[in-house]
Amino acid sequence: MKPKRGGDRIARLQYWTGEYALQGTAALTALVLVVLFYYPVGTVLANGLFGSVEGTNPVLAVLGSEFYLGAASGLTDPSAVPGGVLDWMRAGFPAVDFGLIGFTVYQALLSTLASLALGLPGAYLLAQYDFPGRETVRSLTMLPFVLPSIMVAIGFVAMFGDQGVLNGFLGWVGLESVSVMYTLQLVVLAHAFYNAPLVTRIVGAAWAGLDRSKIETARGLGAGPIRAFLDVTLPQLGPAILAGALLTFLFTFMSFPIVLALGGLELATVEVWLYARVQQLELAQAAGLAVVETVITLSLTYAALRYESGQRGLGRGPNRKPLFGSLRDPRRLGLLGYGLVVTIVFLGPILSMVLESLTGPGGLTLDHYAFLLERQATGASYQVRPLPAIRNSLLFGLAALGLAVPMGVTVAILEDSRFPGSRVLGTLLMAPLAVSGIVLGLGLLQGLVFGTELFGHRITVTGPVAIVAAHAVAAYPFVTRTVSPMLQRVDHRVVETARVLGASRARARFDVELPLVIPGIVAGAALAYAISVGEFDSTIILAEGSSSYTMPVAVERYLGNRTLGPATAMGTVLLGITAISFVVIDRVGGWWEP
Amino acid sequence: MKRRTFVKRVGAAGIAGLAGCAGPDADGRGTTTGTSGGTDELAGTLRVATYEPFVDAPSVSPGAWIKEAFESAYPDATIEWQTPNSGLNHFIQQAQYGDGVEADVYVGLNADDLVRADDELGETELFEPVSADTLSNDDSVIEELRFDPAGRAVPFDTGYISLVYDAGEIDEPRTFEDLIDPEFEDTLLLQNAQTSDPGRAFLLWTIANRGEANYLDYWQALVDNGARILGDWNGSYTAYSNAERPVVVSYSTDQVYAHRNDRDMQRHQIAFLNDQGYAVPEGMARFADAAKPELATAFLEFMLEPRTQSEIAVRNVAFPATTTADPPESFTEYAHRPPETVTHTYDELAGSIDDWVSAWAEQIASG
Repeated sequence: MKPKRGGDRIARLQYWTGEYALQGTAALTALVLVVLFYYPVGTVLANGLFGSVEGTNPVLAVLGSEFYLGAASGLTDPSAVPGGVLDWMRAGFPAVDFGLIGFTVYQALLSTLASLALGLPGAYLLAQYDFPGRETVRSLTMLPFVLPSIMVAIGFVAMFGDQGVLNGFLGWVGLESVSVMYTLQLVVLAHAFYNAPLVTRIVGAAWAGLDRSKIETARGLGAGPIRAFLDVTLPQLGPAILAGALLTFLFTFMSFPIVLALGGLELATVEVWLYARVQQLELAQAAGLAVVETVITLSLTYAALRYESGQRGLGRGPNRKPLFGSLRDPRRLGLLGYGLVVTIVFLGPILSMVLESLTGPGGLTLDHYAFLLERQATGASYQVRPLPAIRNSLLFGLAALGLAVPMGVTVAILEDSRFPGSRVLGTLLMAPLAVSGIVLGLGLLQGLVFGTELFGHRITVTGPVAIVAAHAVAAYPFVTRTVSPMLQRVDHRVVETARVLGASRARARFDVELPLVIPGIVAGAALAYAISVGEFDSTIILAEGSSSYTMPVAVERYLGNRTLGPATAMGTVLLGITAISFVVIDRVGGWWEP
Repeated sequence: MKRRTFVKRVGAAGIAGLAGCAGPDADGRGTTTGTSGGTDELAGTLRVATYEPFVDAPSVSPGAWIKEAFESAYPDATIEWQTPNSGLNHFIQQAQYGDGVEADVYVGLNADDLVRADDELGETELFEPVSADTLSNDDSVIEELRFDPAGRAVPFDTGYISLVYDAGEIDEPRTFEDLIDPEFEDTLLLQNAQTSDPGRAFLLWTIANRGEANYLDYWQALVDNGARILGDWNGSYTAYSNAERPVVVSYSTDQVYAHRNDRDMQRHQIAFLNDQGYAVPEGMARFADAAKPELATAFLEFMLEPRTQSEIAVRNVAFPATTTADPPESFTEYAHRPPETVTHTYDELAGSIDDWVSAWAEQIASG
């Protein structure tokens, strides 16, 4: 298959890109990761592993602390364990408290279950049913993901507060009001708001590429629809569900602004604590906690990758049924109920936020949008203006997408080629998911923004290129997690046939495997774009002065004293512009589907 | 280029004419255009670091006015605002890791910021003391607002922490005791003292009120009575505005905003617990590494001028720090001063504040 000497230049170029694309993107991935991830995060973690807090190792200080680990803190002194257990038995088996870390795990578990419960029916709906606007709805599932947490908190208070819209409605129809403000339930619901769409998207992409023939075979052999679902469909969806659950768990384990805004300090998580330590510049303490947090999140990532392996088979995609038909079908009634829940949980807070942007003390007003126009026209260089924020968000998003897609696909291919240690490598390559934004931010600040000494030169990394690279680092694992399960399902016989016909391994991947996983790549690209548009922490750390700010940064900056108006107006602009771009990305990607 | 000079001249003349008071304008500096050699040290770029709402809040912020007025008074000087995301920590860390601090002046220091900076940097001086000799209007600063025994930070305004409550919903809470009374169950919103300025000020106030040995018990009683501690002032004030709770810890200048925005005053009543308010003076200081020390001093002078002080009061919605300021009636009528003020000195905070805040946070989070 090697092009003959003197052959068509383009064919040759295509050949070499196919042959060396993997090596090239792997080198690029490694470079970006080392500079913007491993080095900065490594400096923080090293501080935790080898530093000192009042003479104690920071990690041991965390592990030995009852506040952090509750009953489990005794484990640092194994000799005391039997006595401790005896004391506990004598005390009549009281409820065991596992401290701040234990609570964080518990909270993340609940949030993951809620996100699955809310997200899986959505994946089912989008995969199995056809209805007008289905593609648009699918594109928009990523919208909650880009909303700044402060906006979500505002929307949730307005929707679910004691004096909120929901209670207003319940009172109007004569039902008793619900009080969920400042409870764990509300925090969990807000986490589901963020993560259920992620579950829907990842599982939906897998469902779209499902091997129907096996289900048909099972049905043909006499299995009922439920039996066929449990025995054939579910195992095939397993890796994708696991990927969605893993991401949700990691995100909600590392959640912080939502917890403080909707639950309060009483429901503090590890990340809340980490942030406070960083603010107080107690960096060794922060690093000790960061090491413990990272060990937990990385082991979870490893465990999930360990079990994320699916059955192989070439997908044909489901035949979708029309959604609007007979209502005697119990499934359709269930989906109707689901639609109602989605309207309340997702549309409620978003519409509340939009409404806030249109409301002033005297009722409906466009004043807050007028503020945006005025700031655009007269804002000073040190102030944040809307148009540059929009332009930067769009450009950074596209650039991050361009970088994250090849990076993510490369890592997915590496994961698929099993070799000794590939899982450990895979876990390390997924580490950007498993490291908290605060740890990364701290590392970027210490290692890059303040500069590092290298061969007698002070190297500092800031500015748009750094921001784009940081966004790509944050985003590529999402591409990997949507592509990888699909890649594992590709029928290896097809690849082997290509090899037998003379294609190199790289060639077969490029020409045969990749076109088969395009739905996953598109889903991943939209996710990557969403991550970039929604990213706040690294952006504000790496932005030079007030230049290179993005839409979420503008939202935060427009939060004024006692007025939400300008911030919610900017939030609405962000919502509109990202909604349009998601639809565009999905449509553009759709044309490439085989 | 010519047009710029022209605008600057006109601006300076206009402001000098309007102000008609002592200050840099009076001795003629305001009308020089930089060609004469003697004012070199008062020319160039002055890098002023501050917290971001000081220059970029949509409602009100004094930054733009200060820049314009200062540049009119010193036509050869330009202010470059810096608003790093991590605030003063950025410069503390720059002093620790980097090649020195890249700013001349910091605006918006609290006593606990200074304690943290000194704690982190040890022998290294982040700020330089500004003596009364170099700062000609230093004697107009209200003595009780000074919080830096070393004379580095000069106060330029102050806020008083108080409660804001909805008089249509509840009676006025008058004492700390009231807040743990069943009558006020599920009414209070506070902020996290680890990360929020008003939150920390309120915690310090309870320590002043109950004493170091008993403040944690008091807080347990507060939490048991349904008080809720949220992340920051914005979030808690939003929840208060949405009528989720009828009392919130805030500033005693709340009615200035409420009046300006035609809000229902019933919903913006100020309560001073035990007839007190906790004072949080804001200071400014010159960095020891300042590239433009003379220009920096001129800026500090400018910030204490009566006219600037009155403008800051209105635009930052905080009380002036000088006796010579004369804010307009729209401010004085609605900005309430507590009958008595409470605050901790630098020496009381140094060595204690970390332990106080940590013990408090651990108790709340374990609750």
